[in-house]
Amino acid sequence: MRLSLRFLLFLAVCISAQLGLIGAANQRLAASSEAERRIVRSIEILGLSDFCIATDARYVRHLAVSDRLSPFMDHPGSIEHFPTGSFWIPER
Amino acid sequence: MALRYIDRQLNIADYALSGFKRRVARNVVVVFIFALVIFMVASFSLTTTSLKQAAGRLLETVPDITVQKMSAGRQVSLTEDAVDKLENIFGIRSVRPRVWGYYFDENNGANYTVIGHPKLSEKSPLPGLGIDYLPEMQLDTVAENAVIGRGVRQSLELGSRRTFSLFRPDLTLKSFITAGAFGADTSMVTDDLIIMDLQAARDLFGLAPAEITDLLVDVANPLEIDNIADKIGERLQGVRVVTRERIAKTYRVAFGWRSGFGLACLFGAMAAFAIFAWDKATGLTPAQQREVAILKVVGWQTEDVITLRFWESIIISASALGLGYLGAWMHLLFFDGVLFRPVLLGWSVLKPPVSLIPVFSIGDLLIIFSLSVLPYLAATVIPAWHSAAIRPDSVI
Amino acid sequence: MKIELKAVEKYYNRGGSNQVHALRGIDLTIDANETICIHGPSGSGKSTLLSILGGIIGPTIGSAVVGGKKLARLPDRFLTLYRREHIGFIFQRFQLIPELSVLENVTLPLLPLGVRPAQQKKRAMELLEKLEIDHRSDFPAAEISGGELQRAAVARALINDPSIIIADEPTAHLDTRLSEDFLSIMSDLKKLGKTIVIASHDPLVSESPVVDRCLYLRDGALAAAF
Repeated sequence: MRLSLRFLLFLAVCISAQLGLIGAANQRLAASSEAERRIVRSIEILGLSDFCIATDARYVRHLAVSDRLSPFMDHPGSIEHFPTGSFWIPER
Repeated sequence: MALRYIDRQLNIADYALSGFKRRVARNVVVVFIFALVIFMVASFSLTTTSLKQAAGRLLETVPDITVQKMSAGRQVSLTEDAVDKLENIFGIRSVRPRVWGYYFDENNGANYTVIGHPKLSEKSPLPGLGIDYLPEMQLDTVAENAVIGRGVRQSLELGSRRTFSLFRPDLTLKSFITAGAFGADTSMVTDDLIIMDLQAARDLFGLAPAEITDLLVDVANPLEIDNIADKIGERLQGVRVVTRERIAKTYRVAFGWRSGFGLACLFGAMAAFAIFAWDKATGLTPAQQREVAILKVVGWQTEDVITLRFWESIIISASALGLGYLGAWMHLLFFDGVLFRPVLLGWSVLKPPVSLIPVFSIGDLLIIFSLSVLPYLAATVIPAWHSAAIRPDSVI
Repeated sequence: MKIELKAVEKYYNRGGSNQVHALRGIDLTIDANETICIHGPSGSGKSTLLSILGGIIGPTIGSAVVGGKKLARLPDRFLTLYRREHIGFIFQRFQLIPELSVLENVTLPLLPLGVRPAQQKKRAMELLEKLEIDHRSDFPAAEISGGELQRAAVARALINDPSIIIADEPTAHLDTRLSEDFLSIMSDLKKLGKTIVIASHDPLVSESPVVDRCLYLRDGALAAAF
């Protein structure tokens, strides 16, 4: 087989692997629908505003209630100012 | 004619590939570095897209309107009578008073979110949230029931213990019994939560009996949210009214900012690669120059030589895009995007096990394409005009 | 194919301080099926003359008409087309690409023409067989002997079945036996009706019966024909 066709085959393999991964992701998404339902319900019942993926600074956890004074309020070493707080660990 | 054109392209592509094979070590290094750059950029954009999409899907039950009282530019508590002032506004379905706040655990530097919920004193409260309730427990001392998130449990190092204590503002201790724990599958929103009875939360934060921290307002007609928010602002003095749309916007901005920052860092890597590619493309070795001259003298047109360069670039950049993008998906799907979590999620003490499910978006792919493959093509094909113009008589 | 040069002048860097007047007033007619030899000392303008005949460069002044087509005013693009249809070049040192196999070198001119790989290989192998180096077809050009290189170069020149063959010092790096081999190949080509131009100061070439006519080039001008 000529090289260019072999290269196209390689690309086709890449694309099908990619499609496989996309399929796997969609499957995982579908499988998590029960968990998502619970998350949605938790948000509703508890009145949450955000994900809790970042708890380093308070107003990152609940963006809805952030204000300009929240930096430096609790932890003197914490550089609680976006985005600094996300990149540096507060001094202990 | 068209068939002949395709054959010509395939022939030149074959030649480019045989050149790739001849200099395989060098080319593999180039593809590897290029794929690494694409891997980083793609991981980044996949992480942000997947977060944004999750936010879009999951944050739709965020309260329509959150009302907070402001004093001297900072948030203060308000009293329960505010509920009565709002309830008769037409279009409001419900007003829920809430006590909640942050608890900063100085022992390990973690921030917890404490929420007082009126229903926690009932039997089997909060159904449908996937909470594992533990059997009731009696202590000699006074202790409140609390439902805690997994992260809190780990951070407090509870192990098999069920009791823990938190400090009131006056540094006296308040004891709690773990009545239940949130399941792992809701960690994305519940990891840092400590849910307790409304009155217990007031006690913990040192609030007066009728004080609340904010009001959650549900509106019957979503189109009316902004109007009602305006009305609430008029009815209550000195409050801040936060609508769901604003939360979503802030959220997008924050992660847009983070990913932008990350991309700005990665831009350096991309620029370095572009310079490298440019250098490689312009600095032809004498052997390569001779090759071009020979090709031209045996009848290759300037455009054939440029086509050759084009194919060489396509081979490298398409391989790199294929491998890098594939790698980014595997990074997210099988390794939870471990490399870029810190930048996007922050250096939190509590690290919720967020499983980022990547989402395919053609827009993202186009952005990656135009940030990686296009500059590479430009950096290599444009100087090829120059090198393809080598005079054929230079070999004679 | 008939080649006619009229009053050809060629300058390099014309008007510059390093101007070179490479060819002066060349009038030359080569008939189809004629084999001529051009000799002269190095720097006499042989290579320039060959380049003009082969359509690699155009004359500064004067006209070059090949097969009824005026080359002088053709843009580079059309010169290339002309070259790939009508001219086969054999260079001094053969100018094969050393990393490529003999077969790949020979098929190079066919690639931009869109000839399919099977067809490419068939044509090349036929030629290599005729030139008796088909057993070396898969060897890199860097690894074969001088005589084989020369045959590979001839094969590459012939792959498009050109009507004109132009060779620049083809025997300069060959011993007597290989030079004679080369001339016998040229004689075969002559029988096929090709026009052949060989630049050489090797007496073996100029005195060969294959050569119909010898031209002497000195300081860019044709000095004598014998």
